[in-house]
Amino acid sequence: MGVVHGDLMTLNIGPQHPSTHGVLRLKVKTDGEIISEVEPIIGYLHRCFEKHCENVSYEQVIPYTDRCDYIAAMNNNFGYAVTVEELMEIKVPERVEYIRVIVAELNRIASHLLALGAYGLDVGAFTPFLYMFRDRERILDLFETLCGARLLYNYIWVGGVSHDFPKGFVESVYSFLDYFEPKIEEYNELLTYNKIFIERTGDVGVMPPEVAVSYGVTGPNLRGSGVKWDIRKDEPYSIYEKFDFDIPVGVGEMGTVGDCWDRYYVRMVEMKESIKITRQALKGIPTGDVHQALPKKIRPPQGSIYKRTESPRGDLAYYIVSDGSPIPYRLKMRSPAFTALSVLGEISQGWMMSDVLAILGSLDIVLGEIDR
Amino acid sequence: MSSDQDKLIAESVEKALQGDMDAINNIEDRVTRSKAKAALVKAKREAKAAVAEETPRAEKSKAEEAPQAEQTFAAQVAVALEKKFPGSLDTEDVNGHIQMKGEQWYEAAQYLRDNPDFLFDSLQCVTGYDYGTSEDLEVRYNLHSMTHHHAIEIRIKIDRNDSKIPSVEQVWRIGDWFERETYDMYGIEFVGHSNMTRILCPEDWAGWPLRKDYETQEMYHGIVVPKVKDGWE
Repeated sequence: MGVVHGDLMTLNIGPQHPSTHGVLRLKVKTDGEIISEVEPIIGYLHRCFEKHCENVSYEQVIPYTDRCDYIAAMNNNFGYAVTVEELMEIKVPERVEYIRVIVAELNRIASHLLALGAYGLDVGAFTPFLYMFRDRERILDLFETLCGARLLYNYIWVGGVSHDFPKGFVESVYSFLDYFEPKIEEYNELLTYNKIFIERTGDVGVMPPEVAVSYGVTGPNLRGSGVKWDIRKDEPYSIYEKFDFDIPVGVGEMGTVGDCWDRYYVRMVEMKESIKITRQALKGIPTGDVHQALPKKIRPPQGSIYKRTESPRGDLAYYIVSDGSPIPYRLKMRSPAFTALSVLGEISQGWMMSDVLAILGSLDIVLGEIDR
Repeated sequence: MSSDQDKLIAESVEKALQGDMDAINNIEDRVTRSKAKAALVKAKREAKAAVAEETPRAEKSKAEEAPQAEQTFAAQVAVALEKKFPGSLDTEDVNGHIQMKGEQWYEAAQYLRDNPDFLFDSLQCVTGYDYGTSEDLEVRYNLHSMTHHHAIEIRIKIDRNDSKIPSVEQVWRIGDWFERETYDMYGIEFVGHSNMTRILCPEDWAGWPLRKDYETQEMYHGIVVPKVKDGWE
């Protein structure tokens, strides 16, 4: 019997492909149906974010942060505002802090709904996607009444927020939460405990915790691997230490700890925690003027700062160096999706071609934030 | 302007500062009244400036106290590094971050990751930095420990014309992409990196975009690059 020599086949997925969640190219080397190497090729959406920041004033940076992670723009605004405020030593009014937490948590729910719905779509479940988009739409409507924009808000400013809550907003958020909370059970019935879904995601693409940490993976992806790490709890910013919430971690319910199902399920439980935080914040929101602490001119003193916040995708950090002028001397954004995508090559080796897209979807990447 | 008017303004402003606005509002002559109001605004601003001048001093002393704990930790790490790798520090001063020399960075990185006192198992961020058009470049590493929950910043200066630094790709795997990004933007070469290519810009891009002396190329693939007007908003 002779030996059969098989060459590796190189296959390109993308840049235009429905399952790449944006403009991403995957250079895949396969041995038949088995993956031996995946190399993500990025940069198709590079818009020179950091170069722009060195040419515009501090307040003009905020719309650019919207466009980095357009799925969770509130959280990006939030992280940037918190960083500049710490550099300038601004103390914002209590009402502003509450408003920020409420909108950030609502945006986290909207972002997770998109992630989970699109993930169902990736592995072949179409219906949950429509259900989740229906509910995400209600959050976007709330944001529209709040600031006029549905996706790119420019809402959280340095030292405050652009608008106070309109009349009746708190009640509509309450009614949304009352409507939305039981829906999570519906999603669980529809998708989470669906046999086919479990077959596709359980025990697939296992990411051991040490690999996750070495690759700098954060957020739900890291927690899916069983590492209890959340900036909101471990390094609280804003007023997160006031709220009572849990950090869900993956336990390997449908296979091994750190598989695709765990990463998926952590997001599902996180939405419940976000509801909890939002309810507490709505209850405790004080009155006050939201524009009171807005600085007339943003001119941070000389110095540098590295500040992390928890976006729906993980540790979102800004490194800002100020030379005392109204324009940042250097601004670096550490994007959580960038590190999450870098681990793809490592964890998809040895899986089947169809699993690569299931693994990619479970990482919940946003290309706008990766390429910046 | 009569001295009577001056006197009236001074008196009413003093009263208004104590909270009695009627003193100004009751002035009958419109010109005098507006002058008094202007004087009041000026007086208030001066008072505010005086307060503001006092507070930063108080805040500063607070700010000096606050980073003490952090400083001592950074200093501890610096002392340990100096002991293990003599001559590896660029300056002895530890001001929230550690300034190192590039030569022993790879070994030092391994030491920081594996030493049970530090266990910096996570490389959070790699930031390139340019001090100015003809100054040095710098790479800044933000390390974090998932076990001990502490963080440190390490800075390494490099010569602009010979920008080479040891790669830590093998120490922290995320170093791979972070270093490629820094190379892409600053042209800093990470020696020992397995795939030192551009990551965000196209492969044939000319120049290092985030260096302060970067000039936009005039042509790209036969297309004229439009000039950006100076000072656009």
